Amino acid sequence: MKKILALVLCLLMAIPAFSFAEEKVVNILSWEGYIDADTLYNFEQETGIKVIWSPMDSIDSMLLKVTQGGGADYDLILSSDYSLNILREQGLLQKLDMSKFANYGNLNPTFLSQSYDPANEYVIPYVAGCPLIIYDPARVPFEITGYEDLWNEQLTDSVAVLENARVLCGITLKTMGQSMNETDPEVLAQMQEKLMPLYKNIRTFGDMESYTAVTTGEASVGFMFTPFVYMVQLEHPDFKVVYPKEGLGYGIDGFVIPAGAKNADNAHVLLDYLMRPEVAANNAEMQYYMCVNEAAEAYLSDTFKNASVMNVPDELLVDAEFILDIGAHETKFQEIYTAFKNQ
Amino acid sequence: MKKKSFGSLLFLSLVLLIMYLPIIVVVIYSFNDNTARIPIAFTGWSTMWYQKLFSGRSGFGGALVLSLRVALWSVLVSSVVGTLGAIGMAQRTIMDKKHATKMDAAMEMLVTLPIMIPEIILGLAFMVIFNALGIRGNELRLVLAHSTFCIPYVFLNVKSRLAGMDPALFDAARDLGANPARVMRDITLPLCRPAIISGCFLALAMSLDDFVISFFVYGAGEGTLPIKIYSSVKVGVSPMVNALCTITMGVIFLAVALSRYLSSARAQRQKKLARS
Repeated sequence: MKKILALVLCLLMAIPAFSFAEEKVVNILSWEGYIDADTLYNFEQETGIKVIWSPMDSIDSMLLKVTQGGGADYDLILSSDYSLNILREQGLLQKLDMSKFANYGNLNPTFLSQSYDPANEYVIPYVAGCPLIIYDPARVPFEITGYEDLWNEQLTDSVAVLENARVLCGITLKTMGQSMNETDPEVLAQMQEKLMPLYKNIRTFGDMESYTAVTTGEASVGFMFTPFVYMVQLEHPDFKVVYPKEGLGYGIDGFVIPAGAKNADNAHVLLDYLMRPEVAANNAEMQYYMCVNEAAEAYLSDTFKNASVMNVPDELLVDAEFILDIGAHETKFQEIYTAFKNQ
Repeated sequence: MKKKSFGSLLFLSLVLLIMYLPIIVVVIYSFNDNTARIPIAFTGWSTMWYQKLFSGRSGFGGALVLSLRVALWSVLVSSVVGTLGAIGMAQRTIMDKKHATKMDAAMEMLVTLPIMIPEIILGLAFMVIFNALGIRGNELRLVLAHSTFCIPYVFLNVKSRLAGMDPALFDAARDLGANPARVMRDITLPLCRPAIISGCFLALAMSLDDFVISFFVYGAGEGTLPIKIYSSVKVGVSPMVNALCTITMGVIFLAVALSRYLSSARAQRQKKLARS
């Protein structure tokens, strides 16, 4: 018995680590499962390029690793707008070779030329989303039109919100007519005062918690990121989705190639594959985010295409605001949020 | 036997219920056949999450194997280094009956430092060092880092075992003509064995459990289980994790039951021997 166990353990230790010598590979750093496994499998079958997925635990750890000299470990990084901007500004990215893309023209121009990449040299957008309000009209006695309504006294203990200091402080700033990225200490002090009383209306914090609370009816109003709003909509088509009148928050996740990438050519092949209309449509549907590929729209299912959360009008997106990197001011937001949550 | 009052029985069952209810829910939901991204309702029984757990890229098989490999290598390295270190230190003080010098105290402090300093600092330091030295291999990085914080567990265990031992045993062995290597093989190591084994188990648990240090050290490629699970939060943690949890608990229950059975069987055998 002991001998068998020892043998098994030795075998487990002795199997050589996965080696990909001689093989064509592309190393991606991103959240686990952010590209569907079947899509990657099809890509590998078609091109013979093996995809090695490195799970990214958080944007902060990704930034830390890449800025500390670990960028050359990866050929592609899939992350969010502001973090891509930090990498670009520090010169840690390489320019994309647009001549290698046959499908670049499929992208929807609405999602290009953003602040993190004004000249479209570094980033290929993957998906986009806006945090929105969704509510059960049968249980909310008035019509919700904006963030301001989340403070309404009739919603005591019935609002489920995402867990993100910058976004929650951001929408409070929006109700005051300010930018989500305001850093003036006086405005922030006013914002804190405004934010505090929201606490008594909040039932749960967190993406999955809020999704569960709104779906099961524990909370009647939710303020959540795109995939979670969409999932609630799938369960409850009668719930209303609100484009808040104060203006939308906005996020785009995109691909970049780090400066020292060893397989940049393979990375270009994968990016081009992902921009094919049918592949892009499948990506958006699998990830429950807005599709950034115009040509893909023909391939989207009706349920997806008709969901209001996936159909934010372009004129609203133009004015939608990204959460930007505000450097040291970030601490102030975290302080306010901590005070808010600990009351 | 004293009869238990109804109140104490109620209290006990309440405590047990609160302790085990979450675990029972996790186990039940691992058999859910609801295919929604984040299932809420329990719609029926199915073993599909167990099949998915070990299938292909989206499964956790690769991460599990990596976690186990890193843990086993770290335990191997730390058990050898930790045991030798403890015996070496003990030889200076206990076996040679000298008083511990300041130097010894400082050495001991240094050895246990990796579990004293915050994990986050250790992780950051490892990342910077590995990047500076150009150590790229994912598994190598993880094993080096994990061994560092595993060594103190073995070291402390073995050291305290040695401290409680009679130094005359070693003298007697030498008196009877055993050379130092023989003393080590026949006296020191067998006496230390329980401490080495318990140290190894602690180290194994620490290595499998570690998130913070792996989070910094980990480079490119397959992640360890904790990293992979945490990374899937963005997309939604799949019920595969419930299945993994259930399997892990099953293995642990079986192992504990087996060791209980074996030790009770041994005790009975010894009792019989003593009687005859």
